[in-house]
Amino acid sequence: MKVKNQKILLISMPILVICFMFLGYIIAPNDPFKVNLALRFSNTSDHYPFGNDDLGRCIFSRILYGGRTTIYMVLLASILIFILGILIGAITSKVMMKKNIFVEALINAVTAIPPIAYLIIFVASWGSGVKTTLIALVISYILRFVRLARTQINLESEKAYVMCMTSLGASKFRILLIHILPNIISELIHYLCLSCADMILAITAFSFIGLGLGDNVVEWGNMILEARKSIFIKPNLILYPMIAVLLTTVSFNLLGRQVIRK
Amino acid sequence: MRHKNHKTKILNRILELALTVLIVSLLSFILMRLSPVDPATAYAKRSIGSPTAEQIQSIRVRLGFDKPLYEQYLLWLKNLMHFDLGKSLSNGKPVWDNIALALPKTLLIVFQSAVMQMLLISLIGCIAFMMNKRFMRHLINLICLIGISMPIFYTGIILLDLFAVKWDIVSVSGNTTFVSYLLPAASMCVFGASFYIPLFIERLNKERNEDYVSFLRGNGLNERKLFFKHIFPNAAIRLIPSFFQSIGLMIANATIIEIIFSIPGFGYLIVNAVLNRDAPMIHAIVFFLALFIAIANIVADIINNFLSKEREV
Repeated sequence: MKVKNQKILLISMPILVICFMFLGYIIAPNDPFKVNLALRFSNTSDHYPFGNDDLGRCIFSRILYGGRTTIYMVLLASILIFILGILIGAITSKVMMKKNIFVEALINAVTAIPPIAYLIIFVASWGSGVKTTLIALVISYILRFVRLARTQINLESEKAYVMCMTSLGASKFRILLIHILPNIISELIHYLCLSCADMILAITAFSFIGLGLGDNVVEWGNMILEARKSIFIKPNLILYPMIAVLLTTVSFNLLGRQVIRK
Repeated sequence: MRHKNHKTKILNRILELALTVLIVSLLSFILMRLSPVDPATAYAKRSIGSPTAEQIQSIRVRLGFDKPLYEQYLLWLKNLMHFDLGKSLSNGKPVWDNIALALPKTLLIVFQSAVMQMLLISLIGCIAFMMNKRFMRHLINLICLIGISMPIFYTGIILLDLFAVKWDIVSVSGNTTFVSYLLPAASMCVFGASFYIPLFIERLNKERNEDYVSFLRGNGLNERKLFFKHIFPNAAIRLIPSFFQSIGLMIANATIIEIIFSIPGFGYLIVNAVLNRDAPMIHAIVFFLALFIAIANIVADIINNFLSKEREV
């Protein structure tokens, strides 16, 4: 009983944190863009729970809006990756086509490079922005996902139950969707959760080094960059976005661990 | 027969490397073309100020951006065969010189970080193994969870602000000595070490329950010898191939950490090239990034093959 409770806690806590970071902007007390120089670096107050930054903007609201930007992108990218990745993985798997050396070599070749390197390449040759970053995230992270899905489908398709279903006359589509997919889904979601954490790290890292999402977008990496300029005036300013990023990524990583640990 | 098998495997991997590098460099060409900012316009704006349409067009023709994409790509490949990567559009020097200046710095950081990671992983793995407490395992797991969730630049900023700004131990400007790369290497090491420590502890614990351990213990080998001569090397050897694969990731991460520490390495080149839309530079950087990551992967594969051969014998 105790173990079960612990597991429920370890699954629900991360989901709650992620939901709060994603939907928290609804309860944001202030406009995240509103500049108020009178309140520069002011301390915590009732109206501004975390105080104000170098331009007098509400930090609490900015963190919530920053969470919306980041998590919205990450979730959208992971949904796209999930659907497209399974589709491509299934099409190139053993179930749908014969063994093809070219496809195999191609998949091995494109997955040799870690997603973060693809992201660097995308940002380098394409420039940055919300839309381009989203596309870059999907393409960078889908490659390894396709490979994982394909390997898992191939492994499953050699098992006896798939052969039984084939001999019973089930269609390929039915076998893939109703029989194989439920068996591999926890692996896939585990990978997806870890990539989500990775994506958040990448987004914040890129906007921190100045290749961000643009000037008019509130984003955690950007906030860290701005807070760092005034680190000697108000050192705790940098902590809020850092903790927000850390909480979200820890949640995704924890969720990933719990999904795989049956 | 087995040997031939291993050789063909490695040959296959090398062919795959070529394919990887080709695909990735082609990708950079396609992306440059799709990009909303035209490199010729950017170059014209930088060199002339407010250029007319004709001036932009003439620059485009001069730089060869007017040709179809495949022609540009083939020309680039042909020049690459002669080790000619063109001239940088932002500083006018040959791209090759820029790369030759930046690359050793990045590789040195990666090397230092890899060594640090190995030391840290071994050390913490040994401590956890010797203590073998439930509480200790949970604590290490928690710390490692935070370690892999933390962006590498956090550790970078913290180390930089403490060591360079507050205590003034390391100078940040003029980063050319071996010592000044220690901080970036250390900040990269946190992520890698947190990733591998739990895996290593798990491996060590698995080795503990192997038959040969009980056998050797029964033969009267003392615990310290047993651990350092048998358990530790056996556990470490399993992790080495995967560790080498992570070097590719480290190269990518190094580019980000360099910018924070303002080391004129690869990352610095990338940011500058992006901001200036410096096409030849971007293509060259992408090429080298892909090349080194793919080489690291192949080394991992070769080691893996070698180890599995040893195990068979």
